[in-house]
Amino acid sequence: MPDDNRLMRSLARSFRLPRDRYRKLAGWLDDTTAGDSLIRRELRHIFPDHWSFFLGEIGLYCFIILIATGVFLAFFFVPSSQPVVYQGSYAPLHGTVVSGAYDSVLHISFVVRAGLVIRQVHHWAALVFAMALAIHLFRQFFTGAYRRPRRLNWLIGLTMLLLVILNGVFGYSLPDDLLSGTGLRIAYSITQSVPIIGPNLASLLFDGDWPSSILIARIFPVHIFLVPFAIAGLLGLHLGILWIQRHTQYRGPARTDRRIVGTPLIPHYALRTTGFLLLIAGVLTAMGGLVQINPVWLYGPYRPTDSMTMAQPDWYTGWLEGAVRLMPPWDIHIGFFELPALFWPAAVLPGVLFTFLLAWPWLDALVTGDNELHNVLQAPRDRPGRSAIGVGFIAFVIMLLIAGGDDVFAVLFGWHLPTVVAIFRALVIAVPVLLGLLAWAYWRRRYVAADEGEVVGVTGRTEAS
Amino acid sequence: MATELQTRPQVQPPTPPTPPRPKPGWPAAVALLVAIGGAIGFVVAYAVDASTAWLGTTMAIVFLGLGVALAYWGRDLSGDDRPEIDRYPIPPEVQIEEREQLAADLHGDVETITRRRFLTTLLVGAAGVAGISQIVLIFSLGPKSRGLGSTSWRSGRRLVTADGQPVSRARLTPGSYVVAFPEGHLEAADSQIVLLRLPSVKPLPGRESWSPDGFFAYSRVCTHAGCAVAQYEDESQVLYCPCHQSTFDLAQGCRPVAGPAGRPLPQLPLALDGADGLVAQRDFLEPVGPGYWNMYA
Repeated sequence: MPDDNRLMRSLARSFRLPRDRYRKLAGWLDDTTAGDSLIRRELRHIFPDHWSFFLGEIGLYCFIILIATGVFLAFFFVPSSQPVVYQGSYAPLHGTVVSGAYDSVLHISFVVRAGLVIRQVHHWAALVFAMALAIHLFRQFFTGAYRRPRRLNWLIGLTMLLLVILNGVFGYSLPDDLLSGTGLRIAYSITQSVPIIGPNLASLLFDGDWPSSILIARIFPVHIFLVPFAIAGLLGLHLGILWIQRHTQYRGPARTDRRIVGTPLIPHYALRTTGFLLLIAGVLTAMGGLVQINPVWLYGPYRPTDSMTMAQPDWYTGWLEGAVRLMPPWDIHIGFFELPALFWPAAVLPGVLFTFLLAWPWLDALVTGDNELHNVLQAPRDRPGRSAIGVGFIAFVIMLLIAGGDDVFAVLFGWHLPTVVAIFRALVIAVPVLLGLLAWAYWRRRYVAADEGEVVGVTGRTEAS
Repeated sequence: MATELQTRPQVQPPTPPTPPRPKPGWPAAVALLVAIGGAIGFVVAYAVDASTAWLGTTMAIVFLGLGVALAYWGRDLSGDDRPEIDRYPIPPEVQIEEREQLAADLHGDVETITRRRFLTTLLVGAAGVAGISQIVLIFSLGPKSRGLGSTSWRSGRRLVTADGQPVSRARLTPGSYVVAFPEGHLEAADSQIVLLRLPSVKPLPGRESWSPDGFFAYSRVCTHAGCAVAQYEDESQVLYCPCHQSTFDLAQGCRPVAGPAGRPLPQLPLALDGADGLVAQRDFLEPVGPGYWNMYA
């Protein structure tokens, strides 16, 4: 520990322990771990330095913050669909019949001290969580980090993203407000649209006919127990595999598939990553305090006879909303049987996209014939084709997300709504193709330039970060 | 390969590493002091029940102060020193020998069990059956017997408004709109209808008797995704669903003319009831709401 100046020195002195204490600590460690060398080695675990390695950590820390804030909320939330007459402190809803769940969320927001700030931090953390995982996923994609020996971790990571999206939907359904209730009604219709098993499946999951009187009670344990435990288990697996394999690293001097260069866990990395956790907590609490999110008291309670205009869901389901809006009304009738058009954008599309991502490491190996072990990352320009696919994929999802606000654009620009839909139908195909081609051309040029010995991008780095 | 690793020259230069240039410690100290200030501020804000903005901001100052200090300190400590180590304790080539040993061991262990072939088969079978048998617990959740194909409308059932009052024909002037339910079934979400008086609209062929005196009733559950078709545009005589913008033309028997819905809103056959009321002639002839695979079976 370098003694920087007087203040630091005196701080360090006050915390400095006699060497005997360290001996005791070392002895305790040795006893506890039966003298295993593993612990000694892992205290010096090496972490390569690059900003993009912090993306997954953002997700990890959001998860921690979600659990902390979620436990607080669970102390006050009442998972009940039973109607009660609202008599709380929010005057505009006085005398309105609302569900017990909605009533308790208003109680958290207006009566419980610090309740609203914790609720809003919880919601913001969920949005950032899913976003961090999505960006983390594409960092792996563009740099080839999913290649052997990390295929299993790619699968685990994707499964976690899926669970995070699912739990986000469950979470925002719990307040039983008009926005989320409408979302659940749509989810019911999507389940019902599945061929053969649809109606029974919807009845099984949603407790019979819409609306159910116990649905909120059913979602609650899934949201606070089942899915978080699944995520925690997968997270342990994900990090365990990561730890054993050690990080990938970008190309650079002395960085090979065999050797790793970076910062040791104790003390440097531990200090930095703890600092990072606190920075994320700081940003999220600032957002929770200053930026309003999901003001359910403005939406009103869910009633099956009400619908909300200009309603957009959270971003991680917003792209599905866009797909549902753009899908032409192509219901298919075969004899007595019916296949609603809703099935394609709401069930098949996410299924296809996720299956594509899950299968990607194997598809990639099939195309390239590369089944070797890799610990050194590629640059996007090393594989212009793959990078083009990645850019096209992201552009497609973002275009769908924007299309989810087609009614807002129609009102904003005064355009006829079917015109807006037609434009989006074209854009949702054209933009990804165009951007994909542009990306290909760009990285192809850099690929050729690097081939001719020019110093380009990551490979050009000559010093350790 | 193993020997190559041993003889590989150490990349770490033999010269003693120069100690990292000391950086001033005061930014970290200031950040820590700010964090302490934030903590005091947060407790005060909590005690006086300050606004959400104050609580969030003071909380953020605590975390940001600590975070900045630790991040700064961590960076400072690392300096330019970047240790490097072998990724695996032993190179994969040596591992192959061990891997062979592991494979042999596993093989042996499994053989010890599977030698008793009949028992093994029985074990796998029993475990499978036992596991699958527990799946029946799922059916405690449902499915409940249900009727997607029928609603609470019956022959002669009166139309009432959401507060349970019978609808009044006299009060329903042309161009106005009312949400109605079957009497005694105000909770039946699938039975909600929109009732309009459209004297100028010609009923569809075969439905001439369904709209006495120009009173038309349509299911209010969107045939696309089940939202309430909550808006009526008097000018263009369409019903509009705010969820996904499906638009139904009243002049054409609520056929969808825009948006993702593919099926008209089902019409409820009406009959006059006494001097001022309305009743249903019968239930809807087709299922209301979103489609499903056997809806016409």
